[in-house]
Amino acid sequence: MSATEQRVRASCRSCGAEILFESLQRTARCPYCDSPSVVDRPETPDRPDPVFGLGFAVTHEEATRRMRRWIRGRKMGPFGLKDRAAEKVKGIYLPTYLYSATAYTTYAASIAEHYKGDDRERKTEYRDLDGRHATYVADILVTASRGIPNDEIEGIEPFDLGALVRYTPALVSGWIAEEPSRTQEECRDLARQEATAHVAELLRGFLPGDGVRGLRHQTVLEDESVDLTLAPVWVFAIRYDDEKPPIRVLVNGQTGKVFGKVPLSWAKVGLIAAGILTLIGLARLLVWLLR
Amino acid sequence: MTTPSAPCPRCDSPLEQDDLRCPICSQATPVGAQPDRKDATVEVLRCDGCGSAVSYSEKARAPKCAFCGSVLRLETTSDPMEQTEHFLPFTVTRDQATGAYRGWLRGLGFFRPSDLASAARLESLKALWWVGWVFQADALVSWAADSDHGARRAAWAPHAGQLEMPFRDILVPATRGLSEPETAQLTNSYRLDTARTEPLGDGETIVEQFDLRRSAARRQVSEAMGRLAEQRVKDGHIPGSRFRNFAAAILLRRLVTLRYAFPAYVIAYRYRGRLFRTVISGQDPTRILGHAPYSGWKIVGTIGGILLALALIVGLLALLG
Repeated sequence: MSATEQRVRASCRSCGAEILFESLQRTARCPYCDSPSVVDRPETPDRPDPVFGLGFAVTHEEATRRMRRWIRGRKMGPFGLKDRAAEKVKGIYLPTYLYSATAYTTYAASIAEHYKGDDRERKTEYRDLDGRHATYVADILVTASRGIPNDEIEGIEPFDLGALVRYTPALVSGWIAEEPSRTQEECRDLARQEATAHVAELLRGFLPGDGVRGLRHQTVLEDESVDLTLAPVWVFAIRYDDEKPPIRVLVNGQTGKVFGKVPLSWAKVGLIAAGILTLIGLARLLVWLLR
Repeated sequence: MTTPSAPCPRCDSPLEQDDLRCPICSQATPVGAQPDRKDATVEVLRCDGCGSAVSYSEKARAPKCAFCGSVLRLETTSDPMEQTEHFLPFTVTRDQATGAYRGWLRGLGFFRPSDLASAARLESLKALWWVGWVFQADALVSWAADSDHGARRAAWAPHAGQLEMPFRDILVPATRGLSEPETAQLTNSYRLDTARTEPLGDGETIVEQFDLRRSAARRQVSEAMGRLAEQRVKDGHIPGSRFRNFAAAILLRRLVTLRYAFPAYVIAYRYRGRLFRTVISGQDPTRILGHAPYSGWKIVGTIGGILLALALIVGLLALLG
């Protein structure tokens, strides 16, 4: 076996044929006997060992059905999109980091308190309030893959973290499992942004009064932990135009939630605009004729 | 019952051995030391039964051998039914409980039937252990609320604060058999330092079982803690006398939850054909709560007497005026 950079060549344990594990892949199938293999590389700071995983629960057929239903709902998508079969379908264990921390926040805001004035109209009095807030932030999942950006992962969240399992090669055996391609620091920063946004959301529900304005807060995150977690995702690539890149649609492999970015069909927008203009013209014509 | 392992490094709460993450703060539980690998290793997972390669099956939701159908178990957070760990012994005998019940009937007051103590017929006296959790924790409670203190033009003014709040030996009932007022009456009658690991009874004692899984139990304890924290903050920390929009964030540390069985007697008695129930602590016969009938004649007579007295006073005042 040789390990050059992160690419690994190994002999298949079943038939002896050579298998190549690409640098960002944790799993491979022997091209001759189809035996699934899992590679375990030495740990590095940006490529730690997976700690947790979530198993696939949605079958290929179910994921395809959900993707088709979702595509049918994209009325303003390009022509022909609904009829195109998925060019590529992959069930991938996507590397993500599961982040948790203790969040200590100081905040200040103007709190609105309503009251009835002498004229019996509702009036608002603003009172300053500052204070401290402390909570654990948990279950923040951010992508560790350069291939799938974080907003796409957010699109298919939430994952049911109650079904989390300790990582074992058996979980990914026979599937594509990607290694992290983003640095841990990059992912940690992404997670910190999500954690801070989450605290801001909590604060909005926490503060009293009839409204809040000018909320300022500063959050310090302590006792952080990031655990590499493999998340199950069905990835569909649908090509609707040979000149354009395919559309990527993700299906949560655990819950079946679908997300994708379908471009707007300007031809459909133009047709609808033309239809509306024609209707307006006809209505005016009718009014003119009836005079 | 699972064996507790090392406490969580973040919140210092004890962990169950099969927890993957701390149930309080979600910190991953530590795994044993892993061997330091210099080279990549490749593994083909084989079925223990037939030796064929194993792949993860989304239908089985587990790694499965395609040939013989064997399924491998993955390590996940288990969610077992709660089991009692500590039993408090009965220190009140059946005779003492019966005596306490008779005394309670006699001391219920004027508005009960005069023959209640003599006519009530004891139908049954059952000894039972009812179940509940006892927890201890340290919490940093952040709160915010509107109160009437400091109000100006509006009726409310906003307030906020943060305080350390210890919780010591807080009992959260898990029983389905006893009502909330009954367990509230019994709660402070028990001595936790008398706990034993086995039930010691006369063989006729009923042992109630927890009918909740661990995750549901944790939720119930957290909710009880939230309610208690809110009550404590409202009682002594928010200025003013009227409140609204109360919110609290609780940062828990060192949460220890123990599962207890508490001794009690449940008495059923019949009075003029109707059945009533009384519950007595198995460790303190003065802790007793039950239902008893009221005397309609006495209530009507008292109200009539008061009305008559009022009418006499009004009549007298009219004559004098």
